[in-house]
Amino acid sequence: MTVHEYPARRRRVWWLRNRRYLAFQLREAGGVVCALYGLILLNMLIQLRDGESAYAAFLNLLRTPPMLYLNVVLFALVLWHALTWFMLIGKAQPIQFTREPLPWKVVFGINVLLWIGVSGAVVYLIFGGM
Amino acid sequence: MHADVAAPDEVLLEPVIWSLFSVGGFITAFLLPVTLFLLFFAAPFHLWPFDPAAYGTFLAHWKEPLVRLFFFVLIGGSLFHGTHRLKFMLMDAGFKGPAAEALLDLILNGVAIFGSLGALYYALRGWLF
Amino acid sequence: MADSEVVFRVSRYRPESGGRPTFQEYRIPYRSDMVVLDGLNYIKDHLDPTLTFRWSCRMGICGSCGADVNGRPRLTCGTYIRDMRKGAVTVEPLSNFPILKDLVVDFDDFLDKLASVRPYIVRKDWGDLSKEYTQYPEDVDAYRQQSLCINCMLCYAACPVFGASPEFVGPAASALALRYIRDTRDDGAAERLARLNTKTGIWECTFVGECSVVCPKEVDPAAAIQTLKFLATTRHMRRLLMPGSASR
Repeated sequence: MTVHEYPARRRRVWWLRNRRYLAFQLREAGGVVCALYGLILLNMLIQLRDGESAYAAFLNLLRTPPMLYLNVVLFALVLWHALTWFMLIGKAQPIQFTREPLPWKVVFGINVLLWIGVSGAVVYLIFGGM
Repeated sequence: MHADVAAPDEVLLEPVIWSLFSVGGFITAFLLPVTLFLLFFAAPFHLWPFDPAAYGTFLAHWKEPLVRLFFFVLIGGSLFHGTHRLKFMLMDAGFKGPAAEALLDLILNGVAIFGSLGALYYALRGWLF
Repeated sequence: MADSEVVFRVSRYRPESGGRPTFQEYRIPYRSDMVVLDGLNYIKDHLDPTLTFRWSCRMGICGSCGADVNGRPRLTCGTYIRDMRKGAVTVEPLSNFPILKDLVVDFDDFLDKLASVRPYIVRKDWGDLSKEYTQYPEDVDAYRQQSLCINCMLCYAACPVFGASPEFVGPAASALALRYIRDTRDDGAAERLARLNTKTGIWECTFVGECSVVCPKEVDPAAAIQTLKFLATTRHMRRLLMPGSASR
């Protein structure tokens, strides 16, 4: 008698199967969006070199309503990526500063406070304050 | 049945790429949101007293070495982080196999490396040369 | 006291005829203290002796009764029917594994992966075996969490990376590699990290984290893999920068 093994199959669209999978997939998409913004910022530097009119054209294109709203959606993914990154630091902790690992929510909280501090520093040191 | 099989070859590049990906993760998480907010959203939504992205304003800040270093680190970090994520998203979506992965590595690492070098060029241009 | 009934939808696969797995429904008497495994055993004993599934200890130690219950990998012995939404219970074999029959999956491949990380103490020199190798409580604490793994493979069923790349070494084998790397009596860290620093090793992991969510023993394989990535990277960098140095 032949015995057939039923081959292993991953469920299709696995990332819609629960909220955590979906949160993961959005986090990954957020990471990719970060690279997209890296290229946009690089292009901004190129336009800056090309002078005021090229730079203004680039900035105005980004600020037309469809691009602006697309940017808001992408920005939400970048924020989600940042928040989930702080969660991951708490959940992995390959380097521990304390003898016992800290609860991940504590690490997350410390990171968010640090994030606010760093953002404030960027406002003043890089973009000339308010 | 379960005799020890010869161990597969060690990879040379992956730990290096992963390190850059991790450092890039910290850089993008901490620095990218505030930068995007100030450059792309503050002025159009009237959330800031002035437009930090306006040509004159940005060009004045761009003269400082710290600002140039900031943008080089931010662009490089986000590229190394995001291209690694994209590689694994594409592999998950079925773009697999040695040839496909080699192609992804070539293209995505190429984007990250040349993008970072480009950012370095603009960071040094007009300052060192 | 059976005060009501519950419907079990159980996945059936008949290896002699092939084809796709199908669902079969059974109505069984329900008591509030029943776990899913009790339901399966009721079916086997009273309704359908052809239903095939693995089980042994009934107390969450042997790790053999894992199945997808209502779409999530669980130990059927530790899953109360009363906790299932709407009372309907769907039982399927663990995702991502080939199916041998009904709820029984083929995990030969997992055993090979487990063997590949040498899940036992490796020593360069066993020394005087009549003496004890002393372990202090803090030495045990270093690996206690990973040592709780019962090889139930729920983490593999939860891992979409393993689902897409069956050659990926996977969560439990990685966690057990870390368990022995952290053992003060062990000298096998370099060997294990060499195994894990490969195409089929830890780099495939994208930290979905679901393995740690479904783990019935809180082994946290997701965190273990990130720690291994860090250890493998530091070892790799040291070897690149100081080729002559010891590999640990």
